[in-house]
Amino acid sequence: MILEEPITGVPLVKNFIDGEWVESKGEIKDVVNPAKYEVIAKVPISTKDEIDAAVEAAKAAFPDWRRTTPVARARCLFRLKELLEEHFEEVSRVQTQEHGKTIDESRGETRRGIENVEVACGIPTLMMGYNLEDIATGIDEYLIRQPLGVFGIIGPFNFPFMIPLWSAPYAVATGNCVVIKPSSEVPLSQMKIAELVDEAGFPPGVWNVVNGGRTVVNGMLDHPDIRGIAFVGSTPTAKDVIYRRCGETGKRVIAQGGAKNFMVIMPDANVRATVASLMTSFFGNTGQRCLSGANLLIVGQDDEFYNSFMDAVADTASRIIVGYGLDESVQMGPLRDKEKKEKVIRYIESGIAEGAKIRLDGRKFKVTGGYPDTCFLGPSIFEDVTPDVKIGSEEIFGPVMSVMRAKNLDEAIEMCNANPFGNGHAIFTSSGKSAREFQYRITSGNVGINIGIVAPMAFFPFSGMKDSFFGILHTQGQEAIRFFTESKVVIQRWL
Amino acid sequence: MKLQTASAVISFAKSLEDESAKFYEDLSQRYAKDKDVFLSFAKENRKNLVQIDRAYYGVITDAIEGCFAFDIEPEAYTVETALAEATSYADALGKAIKLEEKIGKFYSDAAEQSKSLMADVPRAFVLIAGKRAKRGSELRSLLGKEG
Repeated sequence: MILEEPITGVPLVKNFIDGEWVESKGEIKDVVNPAKYEVIAKVPISTKDEIDAAVEAAKAAFPDWRRTTPVARARCLFRLKELLEEHFEEVSRVQTQEHGKTIDESRGETRRGIENVEVACGIPTLMMGYNLEDIATGIDEYLIRQPLGVFGIIGPFNFPFMIPLWSAPYAVATGNCVVIKPSSEVPLSQMKIAELVDEAGFPPGVWNVVNGGRTVVNGMLDHPDIRGIAFVGSTPTAKDVIYRRCGETGKRVIAQGGAKNFMVIMPDANVRATVASLMTSFFGNTGQRCLSGANLLIVGQDDEFYNSFMDAVADTASRIIVGYGLDESVQMGPLRDKEKKEKVIRYIESGIAEGAKIRLDGRKFKVTGGYPDTCFLGPSIFEDVTPDVKIGSEEIFGPVMSVMRAKNLDEAIEMCNANPFGNGHAIFTSSGKSAREFQYRITSGNVGINIGIVAPMAFFPFSGMKDSFFGILHTQGQEAIRFFTESKVVIQRWL
Repeated sequence: MKLQTASAVISFAKSLEDESAKFYEDLSQRYAKDKDVFLSFAKENRKNLVQIDRAYYGVITDAIEGCFAFDIEPEAYTVETALAEATSYADALGKAIKLEEKIGKFYSDAAEQSKSLMADVPRAFVLIAGKRAKRGSELRSLLGKEG
């Protein structure tokens, strides 16, 4: 069944500043549905004045908002949560329409986003400090958490709905105000959220959305009234732009970057369950996840196991249905745009040129439903890949599996740890000992044990190590509460 | 076409619940002596729909694996719900028993296929399969009284 599209016509996206929908004076860009390759909206590339206006509005809203009680702030979030539930299906379909992911994936993204709002609803408890009586006779000491002011939140293209919600609910729950910049490729989900924020009764200026590109990002980084930035995107931008400049300007920072995740397969893994998990891991969201599997590392020297396992993987991958995500039968959608598809094709070509064996060629595929193949690719599988070649070491961000072998678990862990990224490595095994060893030694912020996509729930931090994360505290849960608050310690004596 | 995604399977399950609810509403109008039983089945179908929705929409771990969790041939579970004008009560009960068996098997098979990847959806399916099995017994006992 093909589900109805929620976006009709070609709306012009506006900015949401100080509780008002404001038309931008910036250049206008097309928002393209990658499955149908048609324009579904127009988005502005906002100007410096517009980002400044949003920060100004947020700064002006801050004194009243921080004095609004945590219970009252939580009630705004409860109302937002209810509205998001009411619009669950609509916002999910918007994601599919603007990004291309399957409807199952979009609904999963919606649920994950809402879970962050749910967790932030617990702010009266989450924000509590602590105290100790009689640190010296008659003197008490206590810690209180206070908001800082205005935060900038910069979202990527691959999870247009969920990723800004890793931060924004916690920021406003703790009494801060936010300015969100969605990816200009996929701005519609954040527009929908802003509509619901408005309906939920947040005061003007608490939650602002400014569309655009570098000018908006630079405006945030340079603005003296922005106290911190939460960013998710590529490693070069996370490290060399966001992290560095936040350091220079004295801002708090969460900068989540890219990944090259290894899925380590032990010979004692449950083959059927593992193969299905791997399909989601490598090809889910068309490989455009920082938690996607990238390298499949098969452990042991048993060729019979290797061959039968790879036969199962290749056979299952070759049957993946590629098409428009609003068709319920579709298992993999398009890449987000033509340029991303071309980049993945260049990686496939480099894999062949560097001597890897192509077992399944994603360049040969069929799109279900007769949609233009402009942004589509099928799944690709390379065997005989080594960690030093491009497809084995660089983040491809597409549906490409690079298969490697390791003699034993020690060697597998060394190979994983030699990679500069550390986001979401996983092991598939029925041995507790192997799993424990892997968990103990692996340098990865999120670790999977028989789980292909190691996405932490909202009450746990979305972790990350090495070139996958720059900062100290992470998004989500308690760490987000700490990121968005200042710890103030009071020592008191009454004479 | 096979159903492989959670979305497609959930839509199919909902259509089975809808169709069988209509079937029991039809039976309740035709065969007044067991009207309450049939209406209770139709009502339970509506509850099943809610249970399926909650399991699917409410649990994220399920949605993550949702595109690769099933391998269902829908034709194997398609139910026949049309009743001819002159259908005897015994024949109608026979049809209902077959319908329950088929739908129950759909839920059991779908639960089995997805249990290693999903959590709450297969659990909900197993519970509904259990309810369907109970219905089968109840319908057989009505048929026994009839014969």
